[in-house]
Amino acid sequence: MKNTILTKLVFFTLILLGSTIAIAQEINFAGDWSAIYHEDAPERIPGPPLSDFAGLPLNEAAIMRANTWDPNRISVVPEFQCREHGGDYSMRGLAHMRIERVIDPRSQQAIAFKTRMNFHNMERTIWLDGRDHPPADAPHTWDGFSTAHFENGMMVVYTTHQKESYTRRNGVPASSERTFTEYWYIHENYLTVLTVVDDPVFYTEPLVRSQNWVLNPALRITSNNCEYVLETPIGDDGQIVPHYLPGQNPFLTETAEIYHLPYEGMMGGAETMYPEFRDQLGEPLGDSRFCTLDCE
Amino acid sequence: MQQDKPNLLTAFILSLGLSLFAIGTVNAHHSFPATYVMDEEQTIEGTMVQFLFRNPHSFVHVMVTDEETGENQRWAVEWGGASALAGSVDRSSLKPGDQVRISGQPGRNPEDHRLRMQSLEVIDGDFEWNGDFD
Repeated sequence: MKNTILTKLVFFTLILLGSTIAIAQEINFAGDWSAIYHEDAPERIPGPPLSDFAGLPLNEAAIMRANTWDPNRISVVPEFQCREHGGDYSMRGLAHMRIERVIDPRSQQAIAFKTRMNFHNMERTIWLDGRDHPPADAPHTWDGFSTAHFENGMMVVYTTHQKESYTRRNGVPASSERTFTEYWYIHENYLTVLTVVDDPVFYTEPLVRSQNWVLNPALRITSNNCEYVLETPIGDDGQIVPHYLPGQNPFLTETAEIYHLPYEGMMGGAETMYPEFRDQLGEPLGDSRFCTLDCE
Repeated sequence: MQQDKPNLLTAFILSLGLSLFAIGTVNAHHSFPATYVMDEEQTIEGTMVQFLFRNPHSFVHVMVTDEETGENQRWAVEWGGASALAGSVDRSSLKPGDQVRISGQPGRNPEDHRLRMQSLEVIDGDFEWNGDFD
């Protein structure tokens, strides 16, 4: 009898201990988070210059797409005016973020996080309940389909089913076949998300970036409804998609000239992500208008 | 003079970051440096014919008469989004027929006739604006 009671006591203690550990492994990211733009700030606000693809592991197809892109396209083609960011880019872009934790009322376990960003009312759900990803031919969305688990003090998120979008807001494409893995972790009042994007159509190797937020109870995410209009009279017959034919973009060397950098480096490719690439650089282009240190 | 540009860029980024810190009104429609010539400025004067006060960015369309040829040309001036301009600009700030003077950064192709707003003044009116936006 005593052994039975003792056995049950040990059993329930182990269950309680186990559930406590499980809860302790979870992290509550709920709150209002202000984006910190110290990483690649000019690229994120006000945006990248034309023909700057440095640090991106692009293949030839991606570079050709980017070099034939015309910035008027967003103003002229209505479908692009109110397009949300892709799920991966939204974490990199202008991304103040509100995070809500979804609790199952019966189990009181967290089953998802919902994020909302101001730009075009972007909302994303990150499922924690162990569900599977949809079949490959299921509909794709801007934010994709995200599932997550907790591991080593981080939330590890895996996302599939995004629509075709962009890697950088100067025409660098991102395919609908891309997936990305995120590692979310909190240190004091800061949230860091490390993102690893794999695009078999446009990348030659994964693109790894990190971005940070700070907890900000004063942040207010407002409503941001986008309206389709004819922004400019360019192509007002609705019959054109602004573009440059291959080899006819007159602005390809502009950024290299402004920043006094070698053109080859600005065209991207995996090698431009690594410090060793400096040893391969040739002579820089143009003057040194923006150069203030070690320019000669 | 040329040495001032990085400082201006740094100051712009820092001030924009601070101003955006507490309010979630950032609009990442497209890249301004990809669309406009950021280190040039152009001024136009003409008749305001359409004010598109909306997100992600507002637009002011102005009919400008070429002094030499007499031909009218419609210009599109990009402005901050309605969310970002709220408090200083509203739908009634501009009316069709207003004579306006606008300065801004020109688009890459002159034949596109577009500007990124830096300042606006209603000539013989009360409304004026200058500032920056994302």
